[in-house]
Amino acid sequence: MYELRGIRKVFAGGEAALDGVSLAVGRGEHVAFVGPSGAGKTTLFRILNLTLRPTAGTLVLDGRDVAGLSDAELRRARTRIGTIYQRQNLVGRLRVVHNVLAGNLGRWSTATALASLVRPRGAEEAARALEQVGMPEKLWARTDELSGGQQQRVAIARVLVQNPDVILADEPVSSVDPSLAVTIVSLLRDLSHERRKTLLMNLHSVELALAYFPRIVGIRDGRIHFDLAPARVTRELLAELYAGHRDDELQLERLQDGTRPFGGACRPLPGFAE
Amino acid sequence: MARGPSAAPVDRFPASPSRSVFPYVFGAVLLASVVFSLREAQVDPRRFVEGEALANVARFVRGAFPPKLSRDFLGLMARPALETIQISVMGTAIAVLIGLPLGLLATSSLTWRGILHERTSRSGRWTLGFVPYALSRATLSVLRSIPEYVWAFMFVRAVGLGPFPGVLAIGVAYGGMLGKVYSEILETMSPRPLETLHAAGAGKPGVILYGLVPQALPNVVAYTLYRWECAIRASAILGFVGAGGLGQQIELSMRMFQFDEVLTLLAILFALVAGVDWISGRIRARLA
Amino acid sequence: MARPAPARPARAFPLWAGAGFAALLVWSWHGTGVDPAALFGPEGLGQIAAYVRKLFPPDLSAHALRDAASGAVETFAISLIGSLLSVGIAAPLSLLATRTLLYRGILFEGRPPGPGARARRVALYAAGKATLRVLRTIPEIVWALIFVFMVGLGPFPGVLALGFHTGGVLGKLFGEVLEDVDPAPLEALQATGATRFQVLVYGVLPQALPQFVSYTLYRWEVNIRAAAMMGFVGAGGLGQRIHVAISLFHEHQLLTLILAIYLIVTLVDALSAYLRARLV
Repeated sequence: MYELRGIRKVFAGGEAALDGVSLAVGRGEHVAFVGPSGAGKTTLFRILNLTLRPTAGTLVLDGRDVAGLSDAELRRARTRIGTIYQRQNLVGRLRVVHNVLAGNLGRWSTATALASLVRPRGAEEAARALEQVGMPEKLWARTDELSGGQQQRVAIARVLVQNPDVILADEPVSSVDPSLAVTIVSLLRDLSHERRKTLLMNLHSVELALAYFPRIVGIRDGRIHFDLAPARVTRELLAELYAGHRDDELQLERLQDGTRPFGGACRPLPGFAE
Repeated sequence: MARGPSAAPVDRFPASPSRSVFPYVFGAVLLASVVFSLREAQVDPRRFVEGEALANVARFVRGAFPPKLSRDFLGLMARPALETIQISVMGTAIAVLIGLPLGLLATSSLTWRGILHERTSRSGRWTLGFVPYALSRATLSVLRSIPEYVWAFMFVRAVGLGPFPGVLAIGVAYGGMLGKVYSEILETMSPRPLETLHAAGAGKPGVILYGLVPQALPNVVAYTLYRWECAIRASAILGFVGAGGLGQQIELSMRMFQFDEVLTLLAILFALVAGVDWISGRIRARLA
Repeated sequence: MARPAPARPARAFPLWAGAGFAALLVWSWHGTGVDPAALFGPEGLGQIAAYVRKLFPPDLSAHALRDAASGAVETFAISLIGSLLSVGIAAPLSLLATRTLLYRGILFEGRPPGPGARARRVALYAAGKATLRVLRTIPEIVWALIFVFMVGLGPFPGVLALGFHTGGVLGKLFGEVLEDVDPAPLEALQATGATRFQVLVYGVLPQALPQFVSYTLYRWEVNIRAAAMMGFVGAGGLGQRIHVAISLFHEHQLLTLILAIYLIVTLVDALSAYLRARLV
């Protein structure tokens, strides 16, 4: 699916956010990315969904170097990648139905897109997607009237409508309460599993990552620190990963104490050996 | 994606939202007024292509280029250009003189409502507070609702031709606008610092000076500067009714079909407006 | 033990700025021949009082009222159509005045335009900005003169004049709103594979629309006043009737017309405030 070679990203006037990331992700694989804030995880995801262009290095998507894509090909590639953001990045003044149906934009012609704003095209599809995330009654609500967790589910519904091959979820649960976090992470994992989609997720919570994902990538200072199965992610590796980041070190201590904020609600997914 | 049958039972899904009638009423009223107004305003794009219109455009454009840049003409125009600036400055100054006291009186939190008046008797609030408040609001409304050129016209009648009636017109009309906006700014100021000062025994002038002025000053100055930018445009226009400045020259040149002069005058106006915008922008940036 | 007071920090506005401001005032005072004595002296006050006395009472004969009413309606029509025309001019031009839709910002991070394309787009932006600037620098009344010259007398040139001038003002404001929208939803829309135009329609415009409406209503309030002035150069409305009344020394009728202006301006202000509250 993805192949990254020596990806480097330097923002104007800043330090390198990513510094030589090489990584391969196979089709249908589930991967969690962990690491302290500011490590470059979000930048990596924005490169993976083709929003940002790497300063150096190559990004190969399904065997093609994305740097060589034409404008139209680039858009087509983007339709195959669905992104869920940390902030929901929805248009607050539009109704939920439009935000969900925006997942179709890559397939729709301009005329269809315009017409749909007047009379939603395929509202049933949007309703079905909302049903899957557990809030069908919000179809016609105005998006900015929803709570943060509800908006996050609207964003997921949009990805369902988009029906991409890859789902990138950038800290999708950092602004919701723990029980909802478990629901959302397991929902994303189960949906991706059913439909054989590749799922990449940035997670602040190491506990969730270890419980739900068969492959954990630790990122620190724009570099890959480790890339292992959860069973082989040791306490020492995690301590190194988060060294100097107090909040995250506290999280690790809780993990060691056996205090589990997510209440051990994690179920292993059939088909993934642990 | 394994999609379900496309003909899903429709009643499973929430129907379209129940909307209020407002959008429909609004749309209908807007449409009716537009149709009516199109007729009333005699809008007729054909007038662009029929008759003399195109020839007139050509005449205007041909006549305007090259703009008249002779030394004599420019020297002659320097005076009205400077006069335009002077009218705008003086006009704004008078507008502040009119707008500030009326604006203070038209602020309910200063005259009769809110924390400063908890202890005042009801009748005291009414006579000393509400009556001046209502009167000043009414005055401001009249001042700003009559356009500046009507004021200019009347002042020309009252004090004669020249820049002075222009100054008075801008002063009076903009005084009305400044007063209203000043009072709006003052109304929205946080009352907490005022309460603290009041509780500390400060009198009304003290509360205004130490609590209100520091909070409101940046907005007040910024809005005044914005009005100054408008005043430079207005002062150029007022010349059309004989109140000095560039407008008078533009009208003269236009009436005499001297389009090359018109273009030069417009360029001068352009430069003046841009200069004033720049200065006022710089000051506002310093304030922010 | 007295410690030395800390040094006074530099003022935000140095003294020379204050002195310059004072000089500007004095210079303007002299240049404009401001003469409070003439205004407030017995002679000046007497003149004003005499003039005001001549205005009263307003002429309330059926003929004068009909004239004022038709002028008010015409003025209203000019302001409404002129404002709509200005939106029609401003909306497309404002897209050219928005850098974030042309060559920079989140929509261009994935694939920045090549040097040639970029140069063309920067030129397009500069041209859009320059056009808007010219449109709004020429005052309404000068536009009215030009259009009267082109299409003849009547309210139509007034409509065009308002549309062109206000189009320039609104185009600038709209462009600023468009550049200021939250880029995060745009990033998300683009990531679904939406075209730039679709991002504009689904992400940029819904965010910008309330401010567009609010600015347009505000300019309508300005335009009703301007529409009442157009008549001075032959572009219809109340202004034309006022011009006639003043030239013919029909002072009572003049007061009726001024009252009509006051009414129509107050009405539009109230309407605009109501719509702003309802729509935004």
